[in-house]
Amino acid sequence: MTDSADEAIAAKALLPAGLRDLLPPAAQHEARIVEQLMADFGRHGYDRVKPPLIEFEEGLLAGPGAKLAHQTFRLMDPVSQRMMGLRADMTLQVARIAQTRLANAPRPLRLSYAGQVLRVKGSQLRHERQFGQVGVELVGSLRAEADAEIVLLAMEALTNLGAEGLTVDLTVPTLVPALFRSLNLDDATQRAAREALDHRDAAGLAAIGGAAAELLGRVMACCGNAPAAVEALAAVELPAEAEPERQRLATVVDLIVSAAPHVQITIDPVEQRGFEYQTGVSFTVFARGVRGEIGRGGRYRTLAGEPATGFTLFTDTVIESVPGPAPARRLLLPHGTPATQAQRLREKGWDTVAALEPLADDAAEAKRLGCSHLLRDGWTVEV
Amino acid sequence: MPAAAPPSSAPLSPVSPSGHAHTAAVSGAPERLTLALPKGRILDEVRPLLEAVGLRPEAAFDDPKSRALRFATNLPHVEIIRVRSFDVATFVAFGAAQMGVCGNDVLMEFDYPEIYAPLDLGIGHCRLAVAEPVAEAQGDDPSRWSHVRVATKYPEVTRRHFARRGVQAECIKLNGAMELAPSLGLCQRIVDLVSSGATLKANGLVEIEHIADVTSRLIVNRAAFKTRHPEIQDWINRFTEVVSHAA
Repeated sequence: MTDSADEAIAAKALLPAGLRDLLPPAAQHEARIVEQLMADFGRHGYDRVKPPLIEFEEGLLAGPGAKLAHQTFRLMDPVSQRMMGLRADMTLQVARIAQTRLANAPRPLRLSYAGQVLRVKGSQLRHERQFGQVGVELVGSLRAEADAEIVLLAMEALTNLGAEGLTVDLTVPTLVPALFRSLNLDDATQRAAREALDHRDAAGLAAIGGAAAELLGRVMACCGNAPAAVEALAAVELPAEAEPERQRLATVVDLIVSAAPHVQITIDPVEQRGFEYQTGVSFTVFARGVRGEIGRGGRYRTLAGEPATGFTLFTDTVIESVPGPAPARRLLLPHGTPATQAQRLREKGWDTVAALEPLADDAAEAKRLGCSHLLRDGWTVEV
Repeated sequence: MPAAAPPSSAPLSPVSPSGHAHTAAVSGAPERLTLALPKGRILDEVRPLLEAVGLRPEAAFDDPKSRALRFATNLPHVEIIRVRSFDVATFVAFGAAQMGVCGNDVLMEFDYPEIYAPLDLGIGHCRLAVAEPVAEAQGDDPSRWSHVRVATKYPEVTRRHFARRGVQAECIKLNGAMELAPSLGLCQRIVDLVSSGATLKANGLVEIEHIADVTSRLIVNRAAFKTRHPEIQDWINRFTEVVSHAA
């Protein structure tokens, strides 16, 4: 083949930015991880739903969906002549199902989902425009027990996958707005305070001055490992308006600790980025040495006003936090191996690869095809 | 092994973690901590802070001729890397370094959500400003601008600054020697760091607008801040103490 023909074929491999092919064994590894997570969610009473890839834009982008408007690919439906959006997040689709088709299902309603989403632009840390989400929604309960169940489920499912060095960071995104209200801060000061809080910038926060800087500074300092940070937060004198938020956070931490004392918990009461639509206890899951978030979740209200909470795990970062795929245990079957014998070996747990023609050197062929074992004279032999 | 024997371990069961070193890092020896420092002017001001917080870099660190980029310290698990100021932010944002020192000019330009800037180190004082030729500045009425062309290392900051007042900024990205641009007709204005103003003056430029005061900040990676909190917080506290004593 000429060089230019090679180049023409190679050029076809180019995919649009942020999209890629998953090859063996990564594709199978990802699928197994997703299935194991979904199975764990099922064991905790969560039923799987499957929303479509594309919906009418006005449904997809209603309410909290608005923040994803600039991240959503759109296309015109030639049939209905209406604008459709390709989902950039599945949470809202599941919430929509809960409040429409499952409006009459008994509460609390536990739903799980897994699927791919597509975004217009990758983020700084996640260049992928397509990635997987696996998660659950718990709809119809305001109880702290619901908040705790969600966190515990996320941590347990990840631990079952073999993830190491997990940390869950809890926050109440409604706490800072409550402080802003009770401090009567004007818009400009709120913006400055918000920016300083987002960067954990003590100097910037001090610059806004007055009682606000003092109070917000003390709250910001209450981040770190539970229970010490929770106790520190309890010692801060807060306005009455912020009291329920603090109380809820402490209760949820207690519930998590008593159910799973080994879970590493941090709290960060001023964490708010990406939680703008959350109405109560929210959290982010990190793992040591893994760039970015493994998952995030928290309390919100559905468009119908129902209390709900849930979380989403991102399959790409989950994969980085768990052990790599098990090495293949594959058995090369010589040409002419009887079908019944091959069947029996598969039932014993082998993955089999059949030689399609007689082999001169079966060991070399096994190696070439990535088989760990081969069948020789009725015996399995390690390659 | 007889044909009927099943594989020694069931093929579907996960193997034990292959990342053995990782496991050891979590439970045994402390995990590596990388501190990213900017080359050049700021480094001289950061240097005394390192001693004060108990970090003694290896000798090569102070050797301007050394080509090394990574340096060991007196603490076996702490290393220092020396990179460009803009790259400090990138290394920290991506978690390749857990902590770093860079100016808030860089933080404003990138606005990485993954970077926390918990401490103003009070060093590297300067300002980000708009400058133009002296002749131009006389008789110029900025309120009439609808579009400006600006040479800068900070296109994002520049665009935002002008957009706030309804002016569209066309930015020409340069990596240095901004002051040359107006005199050679590349553009009329520049946005750059100004400390004494001597460089501007020498190139016939005058500062016409102040964008922001700049100092160097201690920055930390968000995920490291959460997953290694006591350790990272301890470093923040040490730097805080040193800086408050210096003030």
